[in-house]
Amino acid sequence: METMTEKLLELRQQLRKNEVWRDVDFSSMLTDDLRMPCEDESGKGMLHCEMPNLDAYRVVVENGYCREGLTRTPDGVVMGSLRSALKELPQLVEKTLNHCAADNAYSRLNADGWTDGAFVYVPAGCRVPKPIQLLSIHTAEAALLLQTRNVVVAEEGSHVSLIHCDDSTNQQGCFANNVTELALGRNATAELYKMQNLNDRTGLLNHTYVVMAEGAHLLSVGLTLNGGHIRNHCEVRMTGRHCETGVHGLYLNDRSQQVDNYVYVEHQQPECHSYELFKGILDDAARGTFNGHVLVEEGATKTEAYQTNKNILLTDKATIYTKPFLEIYNDDVKCSHGSTIGQIDEAAMFYMRSRGISERSARTLLLYAFCDEVVEKIAYAPLRERMTDIIKQRLHGELTVCSDCVLGCAKPCGCSDGEFEIDASKL
Amino acid sequence: MSPLKRAVVPIVIIHNIMALLTIRNLHASIGDKEILKGVDLEINRGEVHSIMGPNGNGKSTLAGVIAGNPKYTVTEGEVIYDGKNILEMPVDVRASEGIFLGFQYPVEIPGVSITNFMRTAVNEQRKYRGLNPLSGSEFLKLMEEKKKVVEMTTTLANRSVNEGFSGGEKKKNEIFQMAMLNPTLSILDETDSGLDIDALRIVASGVNQLRTPDNATIVITHYQRLLDYIVPDFVHILYEGRIVKTGDKELALKLEKEGYDWIRKEQES
Repeated sequence: METMTEKLLELRQQLRKNEVWRDVDFSSMLTDDLRMPCEDESGKGMLHCEMPNLDAYRVVVENGYCREGLTRTPDGVVMGSLRSALKELPQLVEKTLNHCAADNAYSRLNADGWTDGAFVYVPAGCRVPKPIQLLSIHTAEAALLLQTRNVVVAEEGSHVSLIHCDDSTNQQGCFANNVTELALGRNATAELYKMQNLNDRTGLLNHTYVVMAEGAHLLSVGLTLNGGHIRNHCEVRMTGRHCETGVHGLYLNDRSQQVDNYVYVEHQQPECHSYELFKGILDDAARGTFNGHVLVEEGATKTEAYQTNKNILLTDKATIYTKPFLEIYNDDVKCSHGSTIGQIDEAAMFYMRSRGISERSARTLLLYAFCDEVVEKIAYAPLRERMTDIIKQRLHGELTVCSDCVLGCAKPCGCSDGEFEIDASKL
Repeated sequence: MSPLKRAVVPIVIIHNIMALLTIRNLHASIGDKEILKGVDLEINRGEVHSIMGPNGNGKSTLAGVIAGNPKYTVTEGEVIYDGKNILEMPVDVRASEGIFLGFQYPVEIPGVSITNFMRTAVNEQRKYRGLNPLSGSEFLKLMEEKKKVVEMTTTLANRSVNEGFSGGEKKKNEIFQMAMLNPTLSILDETDSGLDIDALRIVASGVNQLRTPDNATIVITHYQRLLDYIVPDFVHILYEGRIVKTGDKELALKLEKEGYDWIRKEQES
């Protein structure tokens, strides 16, 4: 029988000329010792992602399996294991499962072989009072090949905020082919924050498929802090009028890491807006790609779509491939796309240093300022503050991970020489 | 024999016996092009010096070399500031030693608020001098106080450094930073360019408020008008990379009336 590893390697061969999947080369991660997870490996690892001040519901998926069954809140929100949900609430799950995901070779692989994942259901009109944190953690002592599947259903007029963390607390190699499906009903709003902090030996193919009904709003902000090779593959389909989508991302990678962001946004109906802002700082020999594709269909008049990708390369060896791309089939639209690649602004460096700011601080300030535009997109304030700290920590070490716990979440920001802590907006 | 009466000679302690800034035979270039070709200049505490001269003759280069802009290479000569050779010092150390450059074209830094920028600068300079950093509230108090020097509004201080500022706001912001950092030697590179008359008055008044017997100012300008407000003790003419003439404020008036032709003729003959 063909193993998963072999299947994945074969897929790579098949897809290497496909524009969308061209950069997806996980072959260095797909080692022979990868094996599928066992259910009893879950629940043993320590939880490291304790974000201070983060009051949230939590669904933990550890090594491919959900720790607990289903939880129901008094408001009727259901969250927990997808496997349990499929048993207990099959009709609810089956409406969405496999319905949002686009049919591509990797998602099909996941559809055939997922072990477990998180399920979230928000009934019509319900505004979930706290964010729901979906924690995907890799804690196993063995190298694993994981396929988890998350399904989120937000019914008409509901609101949900999801914080999806991908962490590894081990130093084991790992490969994950994860799929998240989100179905947003009419006028539903969802915030999806993705935090990724994985070790250098981990490969993550992170699919997010969103289908939005009329008037639905989606805000997605992804922060990639570390990881061997991470690909965020996001596809959003706006099937009704007046939808609004914001898909944003920040990536800070160094050494020989690779980070890819693929975003596909489909404007099917008139009067929808979409915004994309991706920014990245690449150090050492890190490599990144941005591939943004906005499709505006023939009837989708009064569309607004904006796509921006900005990059700072800190060394001569760091590489970014960027391809913002608009495909428009009517002429009543307002769209723009653009990308920049640059270095640290030397004029700004001199200006800051001429005021007595050390080279190191000036650099950190400039890099942080660069990141801030994306961090500001985070609507949930406690998370935004936490992310500000984490990014500062990351930048203080000139983009190396400063603590062994990958997210370093349990610690408040310990940067003593980051003397730029005043938030001007509070003055 | 009565012993000789020894005369009592009063010992006068001359505090500022040394010039604050001494530049000797300074040569500097950008790439292969030599811009400064032997500048000599001496500045004492309490003095205001104005440097004038035609475009492209080295005024901004001189300012940049003193501040430490890496764009310029010093090929010969020395710059002694407060008894120290500063040519070896990194830019930020020079600033912490008390040198301030008011930029001709202040740089826009999107995403960095003036507040955070200044707090970092003030506290790093304090750290260099062995002082404790200012707390948030101490800093804000200082900022409120110094904003008045240039009649700055609160909204300006909350914005990103120079981003989208008008010409006048940028120059006011330079003087505001000068007030915050309280330098010993300020070099103002064409601070009057791009200013309307009201802004010019505010900026000049700011500079005058910051004058003390302990600090010195170099004002680089094209126009006599600024010198009506900031009255210089000395006026130097920088021509083809050297200071060719030094006088008092009358020299600036003569330049205003007659231009630089006579300097050119004098140099040629």
